[in-house]
Amino acid sequence: MVNYGGDEVSALVIDIGTSSLRAGYAGDDTPKAIIPSSYGYIPPSADGDVTMNEPTPTAQVKSFFGQSGPSIWRANMEIGNPLTEGLISDFGPIPALIRHALEDVMRVSASEHPVLVTEPSWNTQANRERMAEIMFEEFQVPAFYIANTSVLNTFAAGKGSALVVDIGQSMASVIPVVDGFVLRKGLQYSSLPQLVRGHARHLLTMPNAMRPPIDLYPYQLIANKAAVEPNAPPRYTLREDRLPGVTASWREWYESREVDEWLQSVGGIPDQGWNDQIIQHRQPKQYEFPTGYNTWFGPERFMAGEVYFTHSPQLMASAPNIAKPIPGLILDSLRACDPELRQVLISNVVLTGGASMFSGLSDRLATELGRQFPHFKIHAPGNPIERRYGGWLGGSILASLGTFHQLWISKEEWQEHGKAIVGQRCK
Amino acid sequence: MASAADVRSILSIPATSSSSAGPSQTKKPPAGSTRKPEGISRELYSLIGPSAPALAAQLAKPRLKQKPNLGGGGKVKWEWRKFKNNARSDSLELGHWVKATDDSNAEYKFAKYNIQPTVYEWSQDEYVRHLEDSEWTKEETEYLFKIAQEYDIRWYIINDRYHYPGGPVREIEDLKDRYYSVCRKLIRNRTWAGDEASKSQLLASFQYDKERETIRRKYVAKQIQEEEALYIELKRLEQTERQFKKDREILLRTLAGVDSGLPDIVEDDATLIVSDPKKKKLRGIDLDIPQTPVLTAPVMKRPPIPNKNAESDLKHCIIRHEPPSSTPATKVAHTPAYMRSFKLPYPKAAIAPRVNTLLTELGVSSSRLVMPTATNCQHLESLMDAATNLVELKRVLDKVDQDIDVLKSRLQIREEGGDGASIDAMDNDDRAETVEPEGETRRSQSVMSARSTRGRKNVSSSPAAFYLY
Repeated sequence: MVNYGGDEVSALVIDIGTSSLRAGYAGDDTPKAIIPSSYGYIPPSADGDVTMNEPTPTAQVKSFFGQSGPSIWRANMEIGNPLTEGLISDFGPIPALIRHALEDVMRVSASEHPVLVTEPSWNTQANRERMAEIMFEEFQVPAFYIANTSVLNTFAAGKGSALVVDIGQSMASVIPVVDGFVLRKGLQYSSLPQLVRGHARHLLTMPNAMRPPIDLYPYQLIANKAAVEPNAPPRYTLREDRLPGVTASWREWYESREVDEWLQSVGGIPDQGWNDQIIQHRQPKQYEFPTGYNTWFGPERFMAGEVYFTHSPQLMASAPNIAKPIPGLILDSLRACDPELRQVLISNVVLTGGASMFSGLSDRLATELGRQFPHFKIHAPGNPIERRYGGWLGGSILASLGTFHQLWISKEEWQEHGKAIVGQRCK
Repeated sequence: MASAADVRSILSIPATSSSSAGPSQTKKPPAGSTRKPEGISRELYSLIGPSAPALAAQLAKPRLKQKPNLGGGGKVKWEWRKFKNNARSDSLELGHWVKATDDSNAEYKFAKYNIQPTVYEWSQDEYVRHLEDSEWTKEETEYLFKIAQEYDIRWYIINDRYHYPGGPVREIEDLKDRYYSVCRKLIRNRTWAGDEASKSQLLASFQYDKERETIRRKYVAKQIQEEEALYIELKRLEQTERQFKKDREILLRTLAGVDSGLPDIVEDDATLIVSDPKKKKLRGIDLDIPQTPVLTAPVMKRPPIPNKNAESDLKHCIIRHEPPSSTPATKVAHTPAYMRSFKLPYPKAAIAPRVNTLLTELGVSSSRLVMPTATNCQHLESLMDAATNLVELKRVLDKVDQDIDVLKSRLQIREEGGDGASIDAMDNDDRAETVEPEGETRRSQSVMSARSTRGRKNVSSSPAAFYLY
């Protein structure tokens, strides 16, 4: 029997990203539980406005997690996300999120399984220690390990060394990985996807010569609507009963979701660079918003995606510290690496992350790299699961290897050495 | 009791063989190939013999396809068993599924892959005696060895993670040099248990030439820089060439007409790549192809062709040619715009010199018109036709003249008798004022030349008359 050095100890793998939390068994090819990282909560102070000064008593806060958590309209429900810039900034809801994924969706008890958790490459020492503490103290796991997402993405691509280009919901990063270790000097990341989303939102909500500004009401707030011709003003009525209960954060979350959906459906990136003539000849695409307003999007649909690769001179002039586009990140990252490693890295570019599925992005990246490097190779999995959950998949591979089991931090070691063991073991 | 013959017939042994064999000879068992198939009784089989397999197949019980037997055969019992990993220093017990028959006390099979590199340590005394270095402190050397062990001597990673507070900036060569030189010195100065060969071999494995490595690295960096510069230069040249091609196409189009039927100009090689269907398939997922049939977008229409206005045409001397109705209106059949003077008729190649001479004598240049207006062109065309006709007619006239001459002379010969032929020929030569003829061929050539000069003279003397004709 062919054995790929695997030895399954029924470990669990948890990969927390800005958009979703993925959890599943090591050795599987797909996470069993995928739940949004955002969650809904109804603060108790919502009933009266007088309690503003009081510290929010966390015990009374009612929270909603999972697939029917933030996406369902509830009166006065706020939306929170524990992550900012890819890092966990608020550990408060993290145990509840993990508990929901493991116990409500997967129906397992973490105390019976070793658990591997992922972290971004720019994670802080305090953060990973806190995560270990949560897993050992709250979930009583027998063994724990925290692994780097870029290393895991490299493993998921079947490589040991790679230049990982990871474009997620909130962060885009370029990370050189050699022999399964991140080269920290070449670490480059920026909040490019947020900039793209902001740009797209600006495009939609601002009026232009072709059309009026577009209302981004989510469908939960629309009582009824009528079919209208393309570009005609929409005919819809809002649910007046719900409007007073809509919080700013819920609306903000849903509107950015509408923008995301628009980007994913019609957005594109010109694969040879911006060229007005070619853009004019690309086929326009139709899109209908929840209000019923629909229109054809021509050159407009390429504008937001182009931000991934080039910034307009005006934008650069107005904000010099703006998030760097991808080619800049790659060049900076390679420049920081040893010249002898550059060829190895550029021939092993791994493109991953949900936002890398943006239409035309991988073709454009190939064009941009082709301008700079005579030899390069991009590994971009065609399977959306592999592309979106590359970090989880790498964790699934790693945690099912026989040789990996010596690396787990056991509960015994945690109790003996304390937090210091995390930094020693998980390099 | 059955007789021997019965036995023979039952076992289907031919009678002859049994008769030759002695009674002591053992009876041969029936060959394996003629064994009775299952599902058929022995009596019946002996009656019909092995020649009825179809019947046997019908009688045989239907059977399913035999299952492949993949080793073992018996059922394997698996059990969830806790195991201890010898590569670990603690008592963590993880569980995995193993065959129940496996030895439960066996060492964990992946523990053997846990290989640690040899760690070199030294005493204070050893350090003072052998390892002193002006560039390195003892503490930093220890830090280097610790980090080298931690990352299994992967130098790129050591170089990346190396951060000794208060120490100078170290290049990867400095780290390697210090590490290997310390190892070499320790091996050389310690008592060696094994033989000399293994010692020198070990020393060789720690050989490191810092100077050479530094130079090599410099070369590599330089080479990379050069390659990059060359590559960018190449890209620039390609760009220039593309631009040149584009310009040429535009020029060609302008010259040959806007709708000249040239294939669409490719602005960029890139657009070719985009339209390559193979490539599209390869990266299917990222492509911008609508997954579901999307309504076709409104297509822009061409601006309508401006109305033909006879008055303005006349005013601006515009003459419109109706396209020939017989040919279909395809690109191939399309005639591009051309200069009128380009389409002037040329005389036939055979008579072109004569026609040209004729025109020159008239004071008309056939190759260039000063004012190639429509009327002038028409005039020149008709003149050219007339001149051609004239030359043709003259040729016919000459031929007829010659025929008359020949016939006349023949008649004369016939009248005078048989030997007058040579005289007549001589007379003919004289008239043409040629030198002494050498033979028939030469003579006929001169005749021709004489005629041609005469013909030309005639034409030039009375051009007007012929023109009128």
